[in-house]
Amino acid sequence: MRHVSTVAARELRSLFVSPVAYGVLSLFSVLAAVFFILNLAWFNEQLFYFQQMQAMEQLERLNLNEHLIGEFYGSMSVVLLFLIPGVTMGLFAAEKTNGTQELLMTSPLSIWDVVLGKLVGAGAFVLILAVIVGLYPALLFAYGDPELGPTLSGLLGVLLVGWTYVAVGTFASSLTKSQVIAFLITFVMMLVLMLLPAVSDLGLAVGAPAVGQALRTLSTAPHFEQLVKGVVDTGDLAYFAAAIATFAVLTKTAVESARWR
Amino acid sequence: MIEARALSKRYGDLVAVDGVDFAIGRGEVVGFLGPNGAGKTTTMRMLTGFLPPTNGTAVIAGHDIFAEPLAARRAVGYLPETPPLYPEMTVASYLRYVASIKDVPRRARREAVDRALERCGLGAVRWRVIGTLSKGFRQRVGLAQAIVHDPPVLILDEPTIGLDPLQIQEIRGLISALARPRDGAPEHTVILSTHILPEVEAICRRVILIHEGRKVVDAPLEELTRGGRRLEEIFARETTRDAARVGARAGEGAG
Repeated sequence: MRHVSTVAARELRSLFVSPVAYGVLSLFSVLAAVFFILNLAWFNEQLFYFQQMQAMEQLERLNLNEHLIGEFYGSMSVVLLFLIPGVTMGLFAAEKTNGTQELLMTSPLSIWDVVLGKLVGAGAFVLILAVIVGLYPALLFAYGDPELGPTLSGLLGVLLVGWTYVAVGTFASSLTKSQVIAFLITFVMMLVLMLLPAVSDLGLAVGAPAVGQALRTLSTAPHFEQLVKGVVDTGDLAYFAAAIATFAVLTKTAVESARWR
Repeated sequence: MIEARALSKRYGDLVAVDGVDFAIGRGEVVGFLGPNGAGKTTTMRMLTGFLPPTNGTAVIAGHDIFAEPLAARRAVGYLPETPPLYPEMTVASYLRYVASIKDVPRRARREAVDRALERCGLGAVRWRVIGTLSKGFRQRVGLAQAIVHDPPVLILDEPTIGLDPLQIQEIRGLISALARPRDGAPEHTVILSTHILPEVEAICRRVILIHEGRKVVDAPLEELTRGGRRLEEIFARETTRDAARVGARAGEGAG
């Protein structure tokens, strides 16, 4: 495990000397701004509407955290769904096409050095994305009075969802030498992880509530929503830790088994 | 320095390498020959730890590749058929990265990189991005990568493939220089695979010929070419003993 940081640093630097990092960062910043403005406009519209209607009760319930910041975090977690596969697709696939797989596997590195190095490298990049997301709610503190707790826990949610997607993407990249296929596998797996609750509703409908509940628990969505609401529960944190660990182990197994084929 | 013990590799029903044995002493430069698909690359990949053998084992600089895989890998510099380069990195930062994953201590890295750059004639391109280099320079970077941690054993898989005659001369000169003794002791033990027989005559002192996964010749070059015999004749004789088999093999891919 001595070389995790070496591998991670190379991965991060490679992102920044290729157009990938800049493309993703620019697109992400633009999308973050667009979604923030859209959510802000919607919030203002609601506010104005309730004031016009003298709907004091609704007006009471409308708050920055739930109806602006939370919505914004939700939108950004969907944006991550599209961008993270682009960041992770090359992690292992490019090593195979460059032939550098042979360098890595004949160096005195353990497979964990390689797998964790890649996770940490891509994870650090997602940390930058999360900081960009955080800038927008930070603006609100200058003009309004959102609660700090849920703002931060929601941001943590964005980061954890991002890291989970990175783990999924790293695994997908270890399965193939085509970056396009790695992208698609990641995207589909993430979509499934996110949309499991919809399937679980179906399960409830056919009268298998246990199955439905299990599917719900496996999905990223309900855990993310809890954090956005400001509820920091060890169960939810453990879910993300377990998801990342599972995909890390799967990646390690995939890399290892490729040598024996 | 390098010892293969009944080294075998099977891919399903296909036997790529079948019980190859040899022992190579310190400072030897061995030419590893064989037709395409004979199992040269597979054997080299097993020696470097890239592929685990199905049967048998190898001992590199006293370290068994199964019992002490990391120590064995540390003792090897390996240039695969395609040099393992990251096109987006500069030559210097790439070599620095390789030095670090090859366990060169932090303080010795700069010196190790400088030495490799100098020996491979890369000083002028050290800040160039690898993707913009010509094929000859990339091959040199590949070689620099193999020697950056000053390993006792060098395994080079077709180091001159696809180069122009001048570049071939340069790389050959480089390999010969690497095998020469430094400070009185032989510096590197070298195995190199190639199809170019004059290359073997130019740099190697010993020849190992494998055919269909088996070792068929293992002798000093001097002995083989005694009495004016040419390496081509030996190669042809050893690899075409069964004409029918050759016909069947004609369409096979690379090894």
